Amino acid sequence: MAHENIKGCIVLKELYYNVEHNTWVKVIDDNTVVIGMTDIAQNLAGPILHAKTKAVGTMRRLGKPIATVESGKYVGPVKSPVAGEITKTNENLANDAQLINRSPYKDGWVVEMKSDNLAEEMKVLVTGDEAVAAYKEKIENDNIEACKHLEGSDTYD
Amino acid sequence: MDALDLSQNKHADVTMEEKQRLFDEAKSDDRWEHVLYGCYECGICVAACPSARFYDFSPRVIAQAVAREDVDLVYTLMNDSIWDCSQCFSCDRCPRQNSPGQIITILREVAVKNGLTTAKKALEGYGRIIYKIMSTGTQVSPDMLQPDAFPDWGTHVGEISDHLEEWRKALPPETLHTTETSWTIDKKTIIELYLIWHMTGVMDLIKGVDEGLFDILVDVMEERLEEAGYEDVTFD
Repeated sequence: MAHENIKGCIVLKELYYNVEHNTWVKVIDDNTVVIGMTDIAQNLAGPILHAKTKAVGTMRRLGKPIATVESGKYVGPVKSPVAGEITKTNENLANDAQLINRSPYKDGWVVEMKSDNLAEEMKVLVTGDEAVAAYKEKIENDNIEACKHLEGSDTYD
Repeated sequence: MDALDLSQNKHADVTMEEKQRLFDEAKSDDRWEHVLYGCYECGICVAACPSARFYDFSPRVIAQAVAREDVDLVYTLMNDSIWDCSQCFSCDRCPRQNSPGQIITILREVAVKNGLTTAKKALEGYGRIIYKIMSTGTQVSPDMLQPDAFPDWGTHVGEISDHLEEWRKALPPETLHTTETSWTIDKKTIIELYLIWHMTGVMDLIKGVDEGLFDILVDVMEERLEEAGYEDVTFD
């Protein structure tokens, strides 16, 4: 899988990103996407204790929380990178929130959403080399420390 | 080799007008005239201050800077020193009746109300505690005891977090068999708490400091208020 390793933080080139909110988007079909937290986001949060997703059927505006993530000293929202309806949630997170830490881009996905205006909303997200460049800049500017990974995390190198 | 940077450039500079505006906001506080009378540098406040022992911090500097109305220095202190105070008010023994601790309380409130970046940074670690107390009414939850969050509890903190659920269940009162909250919270208490936050405008304060925290609190509160029949109470 094409990826870039920036200070130990993995960025998958095939995904689309909202770099400011540290979320990724994977397109399933014309109006359906899967959304998750990036490797950088899981690193900033630390080992996650609770990940509570909003219920299926919830309508969300752009940037509003689709889940709340809690770790030892951190709590924050996973902000929706698109506007639409939550159609599926990752039920495994209720019992094992650290799936997000160990597998942010696969088993630790957060929600699936349907959006009526997806093509338009995808235009503000970045992907491929553009996403890699944006994350290099963010990691540098925000002085983000090297990504740490829990035991059993997905490996890419 | 780069020159040694002694500027401690931790915050963005702003215009003198903006510094004056922030100072005036603090000075217009009703408590101001009751906590600041003047300083003759006896040093009693510093001698009594626990923070002064461990940080580069002096309550006397705070009292003098505000008494001199040195708005430039006060702005620097608002972005740095005021967050080193432990708010224990040991400095209240001032023979002139100054209270550097209470001056700091006012300055902190102005920093928070105006969304100063350093206020956000200083309070970042308290996000989960604020979330807990505002959403559940209990400030500290047992599951905060994690090796990465409280290493100062000692090497056994990992063992505590691994067996937290079993250990909490060993406590005699059933209301303490919780890990996400300090104890079981009555639904009526929670609703009353949310209504208090709503009526006092405290959520507007949170929104100014941390919009993400505001959003997740609103989500929790509006859902439970709606369940309790308060559909009209919204925070947006």
